[in-house]
Amino acid sequence: MEPWVIATGLIFLYILVTLVLGFVANRRLTIDLDDFFLYGRKAGFGVLYLTVVATYHSAFAFLGSSGFFYTHGIGFWDAGTWTILVGAFSYVIGTRIWALGKKFGYVTPADLLADFYESEAVRVVVALVSVLFTILYIQVQAQGLGYIISVASGERIPYAVGTFILLVVAATYLAAGGLRAVYWTDVVQGVWMYVAIWVGALVLAFELFGGPFELWRRVAIERPDLLTLPGPKGFFTPGMWFGMMISLCGVLFMPQMMLRYYTAASDRTIRWLGATTPIYLMTLYIPTALIGLGGALVLPDLAIPDQIFPELLFRYAPPWLTGIILAGAVAAAMSTLDSILHANMTVLTRDIYQRYVRPEASPAHYVRVGRFVVLGLLVIGYVLAIQTFEALVVLVSLSGSGALQLAPSVVNVCFPSKLLLTRVGVLAGIGAGLACLFLTLVIKPHPFGVHGAVWSLALNWMVAAAVSRFTKPPSAETVWRIHGEMERFVYGTRRSQESPTD
Amino acid sequence: MDRRDYPRFASHFVPRTTTGRRGLLLFLIFFALAEPPVLLLANRIEPFVLGMPFLYTYLLAVYIALIAVLLWIHHRDV
Repeated sequence: MEPWVIATGLIFLYILVTLVLGFVANRRLTIDLDDFFLYGRKAGFGVLYLTVVATYHSAFAFLGSSGFFYTHGIGFWDAGTWTILVGAFSYVIGTRIWALGKKFGYVTPADLLADFYESEAVRVVVALVSVLFTILYIQVQAQGLGYIISVASGERIPYAVGTFILLVVAATYLAAGGLRAVYWTDVVQGVWMYVAIWVGALVLAFELFGGPFELWRRVAIERPDLLTLPGPKGFFTPGMWFGMMISLCGVLFMPQMMLRYYTAASDRTIRWLGATTPIYLMTLYIPTALIGLGGALVLPDLAIPDQIFPELLFRYAPPWLTGIILAGAVAAAMSTLDSILHANMTVLTRDIYQRYVRPEASPAHYVRVGRFVVLGLLVIGYVLAIQTFEALVVLVSLSGSGALQLAPSVVNVCFPSKLLLTRVGVLAGIGAGLACLFLTLVIKPHPFGVHGAVWSLALNWMVAAAVSRFTKPPSAETVWRIHGEMERFVYGTRRSQESPTD
Repeated sequence: MDRRDYPRFASHFVPRTTTGRRGLLLFLIFFALAEPPVLLLANRIEPFVLGMPFLYTYLLAVYIALIAVLLWIHHRDV
């Protein structure tokens, strides 16, 4: 049997598994918004762990990080500090978001922020920022999927057709089973991608170099510039790796991540999640380093560095293994894609449609609307994936740090302190942060060697704090209610009950 | 606005328990080891440690230490 048939067949077998899981999830679905959008707020550790890590690690982790090691060397391993930080932030912020969501019935990030800042403008801006900066990820993941299936089939399945098939599959199981289908498929995808990337890297290391340690030794002899900072092209300056670390932490504030905190069965689930998430996230960059650095020796003149992993597989690995590993790459992209589709569906249905179009409809109605929204996102995602708009390239470069602009407003809700941000302050901060992001990522990229994410976040925080000094804060009752709940939840006191108006 | 109507909770940015403060301090110390200027001292290939370049192994050790701190904090239920 020809290699492409085996590789493509295994990918389609994987697709079949995800579809079956989606329809089994559909049979368990109850027509209830919490169930469709939030897994009934009862996700246990195992399911939540695998969906979170699979959502963090996308097609970029599978293909892009190898390409980064290939081009810039070991510096990406240092930027990998983000994998630890997101665990720590999940531990301290995720538990607080969970507690507020459970207490006040929040479904989306905008619910949380609009309630605290007492502002519909905050709700709309947060919803739009959330959708704008994550919808572009649909394009990125869809392009990755189309590329993988095209490569696996030896270009017998055209890129556009492959993209369409995989988008339809993800949208189908999401519409059928809601977040339950996303979580169940993410479990399979999380395991599959992890095993696939480790097996692929080790097989290639033994096949090409006689093992990982010999690979390291050869890289040290032949390309020592790849093994120290700032790398062969001088990319990984301290400002850049620090900025990349901060920028990648922005994923934490994307709606697909914040929604996951609401879905946990308990705060202990999230604490355990925060403490252990870095194990998966960090160790996935060990095999991608082997692939990228080893690939730089074996195939030094690759035009597109992100293709190093599939190129090595097709040249040096058996077809069945290539198929399994490329199915793992599909899993990596699809697990992020379905989570983003779900998050955007939830935000648009809850924050826009339910709030402003039909506030009093039945849960079944909102579930139906959610399914139509998925259909719309599918069309948008497909159009974005097969077209290349100049403006879009700019927006994609902004998207990684865009969600980070929600950080000051979220942190101010979750961490009572002397600084109390106001709705005008928060909106001004987000506006200033986004403008700064455009300047420091597009107009004059990374001024003074410091990543644009750092500049924009710093300006956002300063503007929000400065404007808040002169504008009207949330009412004392709301601050008592929400910060009081934080005080009670974290430190177990009952001061939240002691509102001065009581 | 009248600030007297607002709650005055002690800042949540600083842990209130000894274990919490120790955990935060340890985390920050290990985190600093992965950032300049300390990291620049480890920016070298030789000596190979555990069959891997020095910088790579050094960062791996720091990451493991940071994860250990998180697990310890969780174990102590902070």
